[in-house]
Amino acid sequence: MIEVSHLKKWYRVHRRQPGLAAALRSLVRRPYEDVKAVEDVSFSIAAGERVGFLGPNGAGKTTTLKVLAGLLFPTEGQVGVAGFRPQDRAHGFLQQITLVMGQKQQLLWDLPPSETFLLNRAIYDIPRAQYDATVAELTELLDLGPLLGKPARQLSLGERMKCELAVALLHRPKVLFLDEPTIGLDVSMQATVRGFVRAYNERFGATVLLTSHYMEDVAALCPRVMVIDKGRLIYDGALPELIRRVRPDKRVILRFSKTVERRDLEALGTVVEHGDAEAIVQVSQDGLQAAVARALASLPLRDLTVEDPPLEEVMRDLFAQGRAA
Amino acid sequence: MKALRVVSAMMRASVALALQYRLEFVVEGALAVLWMAVALIPLMVVFGNRGAVAGWTYPEMLVVLGWFVALKGVLEGTLSPSLMQVVEHVRKGTLDFVLLKPADAQLLVSLSKIEPWRVVDLAGAAAIFVYAFQHIGHAPSIAQLSLAAGLLVAAVLVLYSIAILVVSIAFVAVRVDNLLYLFQSVFDVARWPNSVFRGLLAVVFTYVLPLALMTTYPALALLGKLNARTAVAALLGSFLFASVARLIWLSSIRRYTSASS
Repeated sequence: MIEVSHLKKWYRVHRRQPGLAAALRSLVRRPYEDVKAVEDVSFSIAAGERVGFLGPNGAGKTTTLKVLAGLLFPTEGQVGVAGFRPQDRAHGFLQQITLVMGQKQQLLWDLPPSETFLLNRAIYDIPRAQYDATVAELTELLDLGPLLGKPARQLSLGERMKCELAVALLHRPKVLFLDEPTIGLDVSMQATVRGFVRAYNERFGATVLLTSHYMEDVAALCPRVMVIDKGRLIYDGALPELIRRVRPDKRVILRFSKTVERRDLEALGTVVEHGDAEAIVQVSQDGLQAAVARALASLPLRDLTVEDPPLEEVMRDLFAQGRAA
Repeated sequence: MKALRVVSAMMRASVALALQYRLEFVVEGALAVLWMAVALIPLMVVFGNRGAVAGWTYPEMLVVLGWFVALKGVLEGTLSPSLMQVVEHVRKGTLDFVLLKPADAQLLVSLSKIEPWRVVDLAGAAAIFVYAFQHIGHAPSIAQLSLAAGLLVAAVLVLYSIAILVVSIAFVAVRVDNLLYLFQSVFDVARWPNSVFRGLLAVVFTYVLPLALMTTYPALALLGKLNARTAVAALLGSFLFASVARLIWLSSIRRYTSASS
């Protein structure tokens, strides 16, 4: 569904020193420099996949997404989406895709979302029957009923995001580009959005490419993860494998029936947290079995669980490695 | 026709927007009527005291003014508000949404916001025509009316193309609000018949910024004074102008790189 080979995107930006004098000088002479947003990225995504796109700010995620949506011309390399060259912005292509940006909105600000719906119905040339069915379906999935008649500016951020998603999906696109769709939302609204994206993907077999700063989004939604850093793809595969590769250690969470000496814990591995009733010990993958056996034999345990390190830490380490290399 | 459906959907949304805030709707309407009255009354009052200027009698000059008022209504009621929105879109990066729609982007941006109250301008123009032709003493013939209608199309096309050119600059320069205001001020010149101007100005307002085509030619057509050669040249010229504007728009869209996330 999506084919990208050796994509490269450079921007020319105008750069100047801070200060008024420099601002004046820049009226006359404008030094430009190239920003290499995407250096060399290749991947392919099959129809119906849900893929998470991870990376720190400025890594090139949004740029890649915009190239795929046809908003930016690639500097070099080949891009194909649903059999089209995105930058041609053929109507047949645009009918099949959608882009949702968590930080930008297309809802008409002063009007109820239903007005934006009608506008998009005309623009996408959606037949009446299909439009009615889609609106009914989206209303049910997102619980939009009470929202459609209120002016967009009076909706809460979460309510507005739900309407943004609905308006972006009225034409039943086959490819969804979601750029930070959950940004700024509270935990339960994030879960709602995630659940909806998954439901849409399963019901219509749509391909989803999602960027997010919230690891939970990616962990919950995307069986496949691509990590981009400084314009290069540094990982493409399953999330558990990524975690194993970056942080081959496990966290053993111990709950005690009575207080335990720190010394006894240090015998197991690196102590991350140590309280009266609970402790977290970091243990290497290889030493896990021995550590668990030892803890079971020697400590007054009420409970023992083994977990992967938190995703946020995995990411931090991953990008720290990228920087060092 | 999909384009017509899109245009009517955009108009619907604009009317809905105008009706959304009740007080503003009433105030806007009152203002539109008031301004029109303020513009019309002095014309009627000073009527008796004017002789001919540059070969134009006063009622003939009123016909030019009628076209000016009508086109100003089109400019300030549809083109300016819509194109100001494009400037906003470019600054905020929301033009992305426009470019991702499977419809012509130029169509989407050029009629995205309409101010319904500006129809008062069209009514005002009609009043000026009626008043002027009463004083001239005879109504225009059907042929003159239809030639004038043709030239009106040409005039709107040229006006629209100039606006599109200004917006094309927005893709590169980002802030062009002032350019739009500048154009609106220059457009004020079109209230005078173009033969009022001499030398360089006459050339500029006929060929460079074809204001003559917008008000003077349609007025001449209505008065039965436009020769066929000029009429054909004006029509062809306006289509040429619109095509050039279209090409420049397309190439600047291609150069557009959206504001970063």
